Amino acid sequence: MRTGVRQSMAWLHGWSGLVVGWVFFCVFVTGTASYYRADISHWMRPEQRERVVATTPEALGQAAEVAVAHLKAAAPTAIGWYITLPRPGQPMLDLAWMTSLDAPFGHATLDPATGTEPATRATRGGDFLYAFHFELGLPPLIGRWIVGACAMIVLVAMLSGIVTHRRIVSDFFTFRRDRSAQRGWLDAHNMTGVLALPFHLMIVYTGVVTMALMYMPWGVSSAYRGDELRLYAEARQMPAYRMPVGRPGTLAPVAPMVEKAAGLSPEALEMLIVNNPGDAAATVSAVFEEPHGLSHVHPQVGFDGATGAVTDTLLDSPKPATLTHAAMMGLHMAHFAGPALRVLFFLCGVLGSATVATGLVLWSVARLPRTGEARPFGLRLVQTLNVGTVAGLPAAIAAYFLANRLLPVDLAARAEWEVGAFFAVWLMAALVPLALSHRQAWQAVLGVAAALFLAVPMANALTTGRHGLGGDPLFFWFDAAMLALAALLGLGAAKAGRAVAARERRAHRPARGTPALNRA
Amino acid sequence: MTPLVLVLNLCLSFAGLAALCLSMNRHHAQAFVGRPSRRRALALRIAGWAGIAVSFAVAVTLEGWNFGPVQWLGALSGAALLVVGLISYRPGWVRPIALAALPLALLVALAV
Amino acid sequence: MAEGSMARNRDIGWGYRGMVAGRVLLAAFGGYALAALSTALFSLILPLERSEAVAAATLASFAIMAFAVMAVFAARSLPVALLWLGLPIAALGGGLWLALAVFGMGQPA
Repeated sequence: MRTGVRQSMAWLHGWSGLVVGWVFFCVFVTGTASYYRADISHWMRPEQRERVVATTPEALGQAAEVAVAHLKAAAPTAIGWYITLPRPGQPMLDLAWMTSLDAPFGHATLDPATGTEPATRATRGGDFLYAFHFELGLPPLIGRWIVGACAMIVLVAMLSGIVTHRRIVSDFFTFRRDRSAQRGWLDAHNMTGVLALPFHLMIVYTGVVTMALMYMPWGVSSAYRGDELRLYAEARQMPAYRMPVGRPGTLAPVAPMVEKAAGLSPEALEMLIVNNPGDAAATVSAVFEEPHGLSHVHPQVGFDGATGAVTDTLLDSPKPATLTHAAMMGLHMAHFAGPALRVLFFLCGVLGSATVATGLVLWSVARLPRTGEARPFGLRLVQTLNVGTVAGLPAAIAAYFLANRLLPVDLAARAEWEVGAFFAVWLMAALVPLALSHRQAWQAVLGVAAALFLAVPMANALTTGRHGLGGDPLFFWFDAAMLALAALLGLGAAKAGRAVAARERRAHRPARGTPALNRA
Repeated sequence: MTPLVLVLNLCLSFAGLAALCLSMNRHHAQAFVGRPSRRRALALRIAGWAGIAVSFAVAVTLEGWNFGPVQWLGALSGAALLVVGLISYRPGWVRPIALAALPLALLVALAV
Repeated sequence: MAEGSMARNRDIGWGYRGMVAGRVLLAAFGGYALAALSTALFSLILPLERSEAVAAATLASFAIMAFAVMAVFAARSLPVALLWLGLPIAALGGGLWLALAVFGMGQPA
């Protein structure tokens, strides 16, 4: 392989980008949607009206007692209880518990005023898209490894793409639509990639780093003999973990602990963690919201479970390397972003998704056979997967929202049915290209996706009383977003028909040779 | 205040990036007629980089070193997208909008 | 690897496929090994507090792996790529063996 660095990087970019492009398009799209995870969850629970959430220490203490009472009945022998306390805009208690290291977490949502399930429809809300973003709907360990591996390959694809992009500065503003289709797609790919390049590099690297110790545990192995909890304790990320002693014990009332903790930090109290609740060596951690800043660092106060005495206060800023890690995680999740900045992050995420999508299409366009030749199997496979992913995933997301509005509120296992709608529509969209020509497939699936997004505000207006013009800004912006996506996808469907038809017409003229990919 | 600062950044970044864009032969020919003279190209380049530098300084001064660079990059990406969209579909609009962005930036700066 | 859009399957010999497969395996396993060894070694020997050393070494490792992968594909041939990765891996491996012998695992902060 005696070619130059630029050419070998072009090869690497094309193949590494292709191999993970379909998975990573999904990761990028669901990640971009997750910038509005809380808003999506709100929209999917329309019964939950805005109400003033009391966040005084006393009110939070009461809510914590309600949660603990429920958990004592539901999971008395759990390894850990994780109680998310009410906050402005999120009035419910979110409970989770871990019974063993392998089993999935138990979940429950409680109304702190009544101690029972809230009267909203069962749904996974925005959390489904958020979890899909790093787990792909698979068992957590498998999903996270796949996403992590793909992220590393994407990082390689990005870096090799930068090396191989010969005219990265002079082509910065270039978008030629009047030359060949391949030139147009290449320009679109370069443009969406380069315009938000700092964001793209940051988001992929910080994404990998968010799970750094899962993918790269060897520092813990060598310097800590594998004791990960000790690392967190020494890095002041959590109070020292106390192993259970095996004797049963009673948990002291948590309300006084909550009130004590609230007095120690100006930040809002976010979460209560109870370790080994049924054991005599139980500990309680009060976790606060991150202070306003880039880093994802939560101040914490640790308590002895049996007596309620404070054992540890982690209220100061961590040291440089740990802080850097936390800042990288903070940058990835963008909790610090206010509404205006969040829109910009969302826009950059859209550009990133577009970079992956244009890259996938470009790959297939650059390898179209000349006149009269049949498409090789590999190309047909790529084209089929392209339609199924780039057009199919948006259709699936629209179906998820639509199912939330159309399924009966009291349907059993309603949340699972909504997720089922997501995967069912996706599967159908992915199978469509097998039955139609390539042009028809793009038109059909993009058209269906546009129609589904258009249907969402309509279904919303028909089944709930809260539509876009009813005065609630969340519903207004959500409807607007749905309509904008419908318009975008509809435009895509219309153009796909014309563009592919034009290419087919060109292909039937005497061939003049297609430009090679690495000469572009 | 942050939305206003973002708008200010957008205006300054847009003006700067538009200037850099128009200093290039191909895009100058798209918006006007023919290539720019050497003096004009140089003037546009200087104005362009100045606009970007000023927007960075504004971002860091008003939002601190923590958030300033992040917001600056976000606004820069947004502005770049606008410039590419305009130069591709409405090249004649780039200069007027860039020139209008400057007094708008001044107005917003006063409001901040 | 000048692969134009005109390369057909039958034009690509098994030697080429073998070379590509070899580079992919070398990049994946060798790249990860390089990153893992550097993480383990630097977590032990960086002159920082233990938790800081682990954080710094781990954060940097992903960049190391990405560049290692690129180096494997930029190298002139597969044997050269093996050298590019093999030498640093041997060096880091030796360094890690030494560090473990001197410090032992889990040196206290």
